[in-house]
Amino acid sequence: MDHDLWRQWQAFASLLSSANPAPQARSASDGGFGFAPFIDAAERFTVAARTILDGAGNASARTAEEAARTFSDFLREQFADFQMPWSAGLGAAGVQPAPMEDSPALGPTREHQQRWQRTAEAWRRIDDARRRLQRLWSDALSEAATAFAARIGPPRVAALSAEAVRKLYDLWIECAEEAYARAAHGDAFCEALSEFVNASSQWRREVQASIEHSAKLLDLPTRSEINTLTHRLKSVEEQLRAASKTRKPRAPASGAKRARRRAKP
Amino acid sequence: MTSAAIYAALAAASHCAAGCSQKEAVWQSGKLSLYRYRPIARPAAGGVPLLIVYALVNRPYMMDLQEDRSLIRGLLAEGLDVYLIDWGYPDGADRFTTLADYIDDYLVGCVDYILNTHRLNALNMLGVCQGGVLSLCFTALHPKRVRNLITMVTPVDFHSPADLLSKWVSKIDVAAWVGEGNVSGDALNQLFLSLMPFRLMHQKYVDLFAGSPDQDRIENFMRVEQWIFDSPDQAGAAFREFVLWFYQENRLVKNRLEIAGRKVDLHTVRLPLLNLIGKRDHLVPPAASAALQRLVGSDDYTVLEFDLGHIGMYVSARAQREVPAAIARWLAPR
Repeated sequence: MDHDLWRQWQAFASLLSSANPAPQARSASDGGFGFAPFIDAAERFTVAARTILDGAGNASARTAEEAARTFSDFLREQFADFQMPWSAGLGAAGVQPAPMEDSPALGPTREHQQRWQRTAEAWRRIDDARRRLQRLWSDALSEAATAFAARIGPPRVAALSAEAVRKLYDLWIECAEEAYARAAHGDAFCEALSEFVNASSQWRREVQASIEHSAKLLDLPTRSEINTLTHRLKSVEEQLRAASKTRKPRAPASGAKRARRRAKP
Repeated sequence: MTSAAIYAALAAASHCAAGCSQKEAVWQSGKLSLYRYRPIARPAAGGVPLLIVYALVNRPYMMDLQEDRSLIRGLLAEGLDVYLIDWGYPDGADRFTTLADYIDDYLVGCVDYILNTHRLNALNMLGVCQGGVLSLCFTALHPKRVRNLITMVTPVDFHSPADLLSKWVSKIDVAAWVGEGNVSGDALNQLFLSLMPFRLMHQKYVDLFAGSPDQDRIENFMRVEQWIFDSPDQAGAAFREFVLWFYQENRLVKNRLEIAGRKVDLHTVRLPLLNLIGKRDHLVPPAASAALQRLVGSDDYTVLEFDLGHIGMYVSARAQREVPAAIARWLAPR
């Protein structure tokens, strides 16, 4: 029986590869949250841990420290392209509008030109915010790598069991989460994330307006029209509910009352 | 080979369905379904039904995932008469559904149905996470219809220092974000994963493959995995109101919340209240829940803290042992 987690891992990765011939492609299409990048990273982690720590096992403290730093730098690089919301799907978001931000909008196409200018401006803001977030992510990884190198201690060959590699991995995750949390709670991250979302909202609004314009030319129903109808329907539903609540229910006649009524001549 | 066994177990478990307790849909309105669970034990004294108000985000089957991971089963075993609201999956036609619609129409409808069925004036209510916020609003607006209120991992103070979601959304133009549409469940998933990306997108799967290929463990994992990513889109108007009023403006704490034109004043909530908090909750920090004590007017207020995370409060083995029993013990004399 195979007790080595990382050998298990590699075997699992090869199984997945044989089950699906294009795991990377699948990963890209599902927004980066598939198994493939994670499996790759785990494999590379194992190989790097063994290579670097095995080599430094019998070396001086200084060399061991250097090895730990190299290992932590490796980890930082591995996670640099981790798929976060601000990086997922940007490539498929659409064609970047041609740069014409500064050209004055005149004549019959004025409104359309201005819309395209606003779209381009929104795209520029998205890209700028994305870069800021990526920088902060990278800084967090650097901080995590430094903390990891400091906490890893001198490597011992005897300790390089599957359990030891797993402990290293867990330590890296802990360092990475702590560093990321510090960044994520910071003003710079919050500002950049807000800007990313706000600019994306603006970009979507402008693109929606362009599509609606085209739809009207073809006499196709637009979202705005459907929204108007939905509002009207909801309003009617609310009026009906209010009317049914305020309508006084007829009190059912009691048995005695009915009897009295029947008794009247 | 162990990895092959894990792969096989994962493949075999990929279609296992969540939910184990028998239930019956007893009332419906729009996409909402109200379920009543079949009893599995002798009814507890009092017989006041317990209505579970789940969050709009995520699906309520987390409360009844599988036999050994079911809070509802635990409550049924304590003899409680359990009802559960399933809000359904909002679609484009629900984009203008507001919080007032959810609280003052759908929730009122469920409560009225139960009260009429049991010929009671008030029921017991258990609000979970965002459902706890809805329950608090409902109780403040309709105090006579709730006898005892239990809030579970419920945020009340949305500006507590550890609340990362609140910091992130503080400067987002939520009206522009939502526009006139719904908010995608996938987008929310990404947001939640981003709170702890290394643990939630990486380490979790290493743990999965590092463990044994035991079928029960794998099936449990897959059911939780299904629940995590089975995220309904959010009705746009209600989502906008929730982010603006609660996350950004913290209106519950500032006593400035109005639903359907009526003030929601937590000081008027004077009924017996049990507040269940997860000490390791990364979504709803303990301080965000604990703030409830200073805001409600209830003399009979109990807080129970569990050394669990947000999801652990529903499905951990420890939660199964402790949470239903604690609820039943608290309800018994009330």
